[in-house]
Amino acid sequence: MSFKRDLPFRLALIVPLAGLTGYFLLLIGSQYVFFSAAAFLHQLALPEIQAAIVLSLGSATVSALLAVGIAVPGAYLLARREFPGKRLLDTFLDLPVVLTPIALGTLILMAWNTPAGRLLDDLGLTLPFTVAGVIAAQFTVVAAIALRLLKTTFEQIDPRYEQVARTLGCTAASSFRRVTLPLAGRGILAAFILTWARAVGEFGATVMVAGTARGATATLPSSIYLAMSVADLPRAVTLIVLLLLISLAVLLAVRFALGSRP
Amino acid sequence: MIRIEQLTARQGSFRLGPIDLDLERGGYLTILGPSGAGKTVLLEVCLGLATAAAGRLWLDDIEATQLPPELRRIAYLPQDLALFPHLSVRDNILFGARQRRLAPEVILGRLQELTVLLDLDGIIARRTVTTLSGGEKQRVALARALLPGPRLLFLDEPFSALDAAIKRQLQIKLRQINRELGVTILHVTHDQEEAFLLGERIAVMIAGKLRQVGRRDDIYYRPASLAVARFLRNQNILELQVDQVGTDGSCKLVGSLPLVTSGCTGIRPGERVAVGIRSEEVVIIRPDRPIGNDLLDNLFDARVVDILGFGGTHTLTVAIADSGVRLDVELPNCAFRDLGYAVGDSLRIALRRRSLWTLPMNSSSP
Repeated sequence: MSFKRDLPFRLALIVPLAGLTGYFLLLIGSQYVFFSAAAFLHQLALPEIQAAIVLSLGSATVSALLAVGIAVPGAYLLARREFPGKRLLDTFLDLPVVLTPIALGTLILMAWNTPAGRLLDDLGLTLPFTVAGVIAAQFTVVAAIALRLLKTTFEQIDPRYEQVARTLGCTAASSFRRVTLPLAGRGILAAFILTWARAVGEFGATVMVAGTARGATATLPSSIYLAMSVADLPRAVTLIVLLLLISLAVLLAVRFALGSRP
Repeated sequence: MIRIEQLTARQGSFRLGPIDLDLERGGYLTILGPSGAGKTVLLEVCLGLATAAAGRLWLDDIEATQLPPELRRIAYLPQDLALFPHLSVRDNILFGARQRRLAPEVILGRLQELTVLLDLDGIIARRTVTTLSGGEKQRVALARALLPGPRLLFLDEPFSALDAAIKRQLQIKLRQINRELGVTILHVTHDQEEAFLLGERIAVMIAGKLRQVGRRDDIYYRPASLAVARFLRNQNILELQVDQVGTDGSCKLVGSLPLVTSGCTGIRPGERVAVGIRSEEVVIIRPDRPIGNDLLDNLFDARVVDILGFGGTHTLTVAIADSGVRLDVELPNCAFRDLGYAVGDSLRIALRRRSLWTLPMNSSSP
């Protein structure tokens, strides 16, 4: 009786979710039409594809490490301390999250045309059309995401733990090291994995700053773009399947990192 | 041991103090107050976890107002205990002692002592604190706090989430810790029974200020203000007018109920006063027994209008004849059964002079 009365509500919950799942399955499943194992293996053996894979994974690792390394102290500060202008700063640091990556890439190029940028260029930090440019573009896009994720992580840790640690003899630094950091460990790992995955998939800013030179600055996403621009479907499908596998691995890794937490 | 002078603090719109308080070595002071009174803020300022706006704090005759928390050597048991979930039970207990780099033999000696006192044997080897019961967590948190040998132990409503039986066991442990280990304890609670059970001295805090500090009986029977009297559940409070004041400090009061009280120093004829008596201090006159001289001043005929039972006691609400005044009278169950009162029964009650407290009506905010 109650089941029948609840049926419209249950359907209202189930139908949208089922529709969305079906749509995603259609997108992923459509690759099967164009996918061939022989072409996949052949493409993987090509030096320029291998270069794109190595560059994507390597640059994403460096940019995610940089982003998380900077975001840990920054996010802790924003989560724990009150200071004048904090809300303004917090909002300002969110800008890269909402700004389109193409615009971020353009901003990097323009900044490197200012005296400060030219000075950095003279000091060896050349970004346009270089691997350093790929890393800089990815870092610019993911740093704010890392900051946001880690701020939430630190906010979820009760400051009472640190306070008790202080009364037990810890300085502010040692209570952070002995209590807060271990408690934030899974959150930091999850933030690293998610920013790394976002960096692997980054396209707009990377193309603007580093271009798409095959075997040099072409990453997996920009290689997909290049392949589609010349209707090279086997190559595009190979790269998409690769990204799908990486994404699946990332999602599993995040679930493992966060354990049973929702 | 600890001396607080004119201490004030602000947290948002809340203002604490000014607070003046001291606690001697080996003492046990409870700070009793309703939720939101500022008890936790006071502890946090004394611990160095919150900043004082003004005033000074002394620990063992050393000014500690600006000392960081780790140098104050005050152990802290917050309401939620804050056991470290990433550490085992043993590592939780040893956390402070290791941080303070105590000698291994000192740690071992204290650990053995605390293991016996707090009955830690069955739980110390557990790999996580998250599966401990409420009472076990309390014992682990106490051991963690005490192992480094603090000069003071601060407790912030530590037993509020426990059931009555475990709460009583741990309250007894706390008394042992205070008496046998000589640990000086400052214990914050909103639970009046706990405050009176444990505190040698009690400080009543209401709305950010200490309204009264004294020994148990002084606080219980002689509230310093109406605010304290009301917070301590003095049900029988009457507003009367002073008619005459005697040279011995007694006064004759008129109004809804004519009374003779003592302790009227500083009160003038014509002034309005609040008079109160605790419900268990109201005497029921048994018709078969003679009336003592100390009961003759305030003797009244009354009628039972309501009876409420509370576990071990019964409270009779009685209406005093020709006055419109109602008083609560608390009786232990055995006395209630012996007297056998029912609603509508007549009886005589007496209010001893020494059981009555008298306060000027403007004493709400001393």
